[in-house]
Amino acid sequence: MNYLDCFRAIARRRTDQVVVTSAGNSSQAWWAVTHDSEASFYLDASMSLSTMFASGLALAQPALNIWAFMGDGAFCMNPGMLMVERQMNLRNLVHFLVSNRVYGATSNAELPNFADNDYAAMAHTMGLDRVFDFRNIEELERDFDRVALANAPGHTFVVLEVEPFSQDEQKLEQPPFDGPELKFRFGREVERRTGCSGFGYRL
Amino acid sequence: MSDRASAVGHAIAEELARCEVKLVASLPDNWLTGVIGAIDRDPRFVHVRVNREEAAVGLCSGAYMGALGSAALMGASGFMTVVYAITKINYTYEIPLFMLLTLRGAIGDHHKHHISNGLYLRPVLDAINMPYEIMGSPADIASISRCYHYTRTYARPMAVLLTRDLLLGKTT
Repeated sequence: MNYLDCFRAIARRRTDQVVVTSAGNSSQAWWAVTHDSEASFYLDASMSLSTMFASGLALAQPALNIWAFMGDGAFCMNPGMLMVERQMNLRNLVHFLVSNRVYGATSNAELPNFADNDYAAMAHTMGLDRVFDFRNIEELERDFDRVALANAPGHTFVVLEVEPFSQDEQKLEQPPFDGPELKFRFGREVERRTGCSGFGYRL
Repeated sequence: MSDRASAVGHAIAEELARCEVKLVASLPDNWLTGVIGAIDRDPRFVHVRVNREEAAVGLCSGAYMGALGSAALMGASGFMTVVYAITKINYTYEIPLFMLLTLRGAIGDHHKHHISNGLYLRPVLDAINMPYEIMGSPADIASISRCYHYTRTYARPMAVLLTRDLLLGKTT
């Protein structure tokens, strides 16, 4: 499925979720379809840690529902993250693995073993129960409610099989935030939603 | 493990609890056995065993965004693998991170394979402008909370380097 169409479909289903994106195309795509400047943390700087970052947040604030996106390039660097995610088994976290079989931010260079990587199977072998694998928009639209099921037990892992960005899509704007601005925008939104005090003082 | 090493582990756990650390993400180092054990058994903490050191950086950074106190516990070798994650996440976004590391490769460490840490750990910390404090005696443990709170002011990472003699209970 087309990367941006996939993200548009997911964005339409978003209700109260805060979002963490990963380095590269997922940040570009989520920014392109939402222009969300408050409730999304674009973790551009760092591959393979968006779901760990989101897990820390999910643990800290169990009432927040969190979606974390990660490309399969980042996933290949650290698939063992699923062991930690399974161990934590946070019901308020959904891990979206955006599989385009390439390093999207690096001129679509091919991943190792790209043709045969079976991410859903890997998740199953690490003990995850709630695993979904969407390969087209129709499946995604039809079954997405099962992914987002409130209070579903345990951690949810969703593979989104998409096409790599086209050359034009590669030119999409990066989220235009300096790091500290993003920290404060997102952190203040978390404070507003939860009542916590993240920075030691409130505005 | 000696009673004194166990007591050091408990003292460090107590100090972490005092500064309201709830999440501890760890990877093992033999010297840290007492600390990790004390934290693991202490219901005031959520102890998460992670698959690699970068995961601890990610977890603790996310916890900060949710206003949860945290600490990352790892060996010196593990730290040497996380420069990318720290500089990218904690420096780019100015997210505090508190780390407890072993001071491997220093005097008293008889493992030749840790000599590289003796040579390069502190120069690497200096190279990325990451403050650190060396703790070598039980009396130093009381400074952990000062270091922790400094990360919140500094809005970047800081490390406490724990010596062999402290962690193995060889000093008073």
